[in-house]
Amino acid sequence: MHNTKTTVGIIANPLSGRDVRRLVTKASVFQNAEKSNMVLRMLGVLGKLGVDEVFMLPDVSGVASRVIHAMRHGRAAEISAFPRVTFLEMPIRDSADDSLRAAELMVSMGVSVIIVMGGDGTHRVVANASGDTPLLTLSTGTNNVFPEIREATITGLAAGLVASGKVRLKDVASRNKVLRCEVNGSRKDMALVDLGVSTECWIGARALWEASCLTELFVSFAEPDAIGLSSIPALIHPVSRTDAYGLRLVVAPPGEGFMTVEAPIAPGVLLPVSVAEISEVRPKEVFKVETARGTLALDGEREIEFSENDSVKVWLEMDGPVTVDVNKVMLAAAKHHVLVRHHRN
Amino acid sequence: MAELKKEDLLKAYRTMREIRDFEERVHKEFATGKIPGFVHLYAGEEAVATGVCSHLTDDDRITSTHRGHGHCIAKGVDIIGMMAEIFGKKTGSCCGKGGSMHIADLEKGMLGANGIVGAGGPLGCGAALAAKFKGKGGVAVVFFGDGASNQGTILESMNLANIWNLPVIFLAENNGYAESTGVKYNVPTPNIADRAAGFNMPGVTVDGNDFFAVYEAAGEAIKRAREGGGPTLLECKTNRFYGHFEGDAMTYKAPGEVKRQREECDCLKIFAAKATAAGLVTAAELEAIDKEVAALIDEAVEKALAAPNPTEADLLTDVYVSY
Ligand SMILES: Cc1ncc(C[n+]2csc(CCOP(=O)(O)OP(=O)(O)O)c2C)c(N)n1
Ligand SMILES: [Mg+2]
Repeated sequence: MHNTKTTVGIIANPLSGRDVRRLVTKASVFQNAEKSNMVLRMLGVLGKLGVDEVFMLPDVSGVASRVIHAMRHGRAAEISAFPRVTFLEMPIRDSADDSLRAAELMVSMGVSVIIVMGGDGTHRVVANASGDTPLLTLSTGTNNVFPEIREATITGLAAGLVASGKVRLKDVASRNKVLRCEVNGSRKDMALVDLGVSTECWIGARALWEASCLTELFVSFAEPDAIGLSSIPALIHPVSRTDAYGLRLVVAPPGEGFMTVEAPIAPGVLLPVSVAEISEVRPKEVFKVETARGTLALDGEREIEFSENDSVKVWLEMDGPVTVDVNKVMLAAAKHHVLVRHHRN
Repeated sequence: MAELKKEDLLKAYRTMREIRDFEERVHKEFATGKIPGFVHLYAGEEAVATGVCSHLTDDDRITSTHRGHGHCIAKGVDIIGMMAEIFGKKTGSCCGKGGSMHIADLEKGMLGANGIVGAGGPLGCGAALAAKFKGKGGVAVVFFGDGASNQGTILESMNLANIWNLPVIFLAENNGYAESTGVKYNVPTPNIADRAAGFNMPGVTVDGNDFFAVYEAAGEAIKRAREGGGPTLLECKTNRFYGHFEGDAMTYKAPGEVKRQREECDCLKIFAAKATAAGLVTAAELEAIDKEVAALIDEAVEKALAAPNPTEADLLTDVYVSY
């Protein structure tokens, strides 16, 4: 065991945070320069904690290029503390496939953990390939639910503590729920937080920012302090990430149904949503989507178009990605004085 | 999110088909040597001009580029006149004196193709300022390329538009290349839209090969501008199927790059597949449009070939406008 290297993957999506929500809501613009800075801050602490090598996406104009620049031109004392940084050998298509492919490669190379930087969408893509490899999630923006909003240094620290074995993974990692869907028995996909059914015919500009086209909503968890679609059921019936069930909500036309909830469905947007039904859903309980024609929005973005001829099914599973709870890691580190040196006097 | 009805879909398809057939035909005609001057073809990028201009009226203004045929057609400029103009004939949109890079039709709000890369920015700001003074909700759209995004004119226009809160949409057509220079070589950010933050305006990137994505995002940006919300930078990522200009061998593109794009990213194919799968239009309806458009383009070329050249007497007319 001692001669094997400790490796960590970092997937930073340079394309995240540029969708139409910047226009139709007050979603934040997260500069790629800051994503690179976050990576650099993490590299410093990962090196100090004994991580030997970090793997990254080789995007030439985005996050990686600035990391390369900093490593070439930065202060020597700082750079010498970095782990070895290796860029994956893979073609870049400038699409979600890049993050998926990177995750597959990192898993096959046996990295200890993968740090994911992006929004719900990026995390969803990575979760498709991460399997048993634990993820540390880092939100780059304001309109996300699944990843944590946190200073990257601490996420890097937690990743280093777990990867180097200074904190035991099994005490701090847990598996998440997922919502799975399939169209006509094939075309499978998944959502980490919410799966909305919309009467919008087209994927179009992807985001779903109006409640009027929403007909059904499935959530794997529902936190009342979250932004986005999951806030609708969350403000009626909160469900934690660890509860062994999710929720299904049927939207009623405005003013109808049995209640109306004012929900923050997008940054800066509080809208009334009328509710016809809300119920708990158990794992593997399969629901046929009732809407005849429209799109499925996975974690807030329209991804799948379907018509009258398609049969669309949705269900909850407990076998989602494994994530590391940074809070728990740091508590364990504190409890066991992992980052403490005692002075003899 | 405005709903697209059947007639809207058929109209959008017709426009995209007109642009495609027009460009494919100009490609062929150029090879015969009958077209004077340079032509830059828009084939592959049709969903961008069409998705944007679907939201505009003749009172809205657009500024265009050296690759302007698509913008013209989407803005409603007469195709017969355009073809004649490209052939340099007296019956052309500008009496045959402008050619491909100067086609304009002020009545349609098309302020002109433009051979100066980045020149559309200041012109668009002027049109937007006029619209703001008129107060009738008019907007201007500045079409510009990834290469043009580095021009001072474009960046200064974005600055001006934001300090004056002008109803203008900066429409970046990112087709991956400025002549032979790859966008990753000359733009330091992964998206051109990233630059919007520096001007304090929304910056959005969409798939420019998907009409529906362009239509939706452009619709929101235009609505915002009409309502006094100010400028937006909207980037559409797309591909051009032909060389930078006719005669360019495209040695800077990877082998098979254009072939793959034609197979996987053809906006017309994507549109037809989606619209028919949704059950809103039929393949037969689209085929009927294909036939009508083919006949129209034939007619345009026949008329252009038969038309007279401008004469010496035309040389000094329309050069200056006196106010
Ligand atoms: C001011 C100016 N500089 C240079 C040129 C030469 N030129 C013509 S087109 C072009 C590239 C433009 O690239 P882009 O803006 O990406 O538009 P595209 O051709 O891809 O549509 C250049 C450099 C010019 N016409 N004007
Ligand atoms: Mg270009």
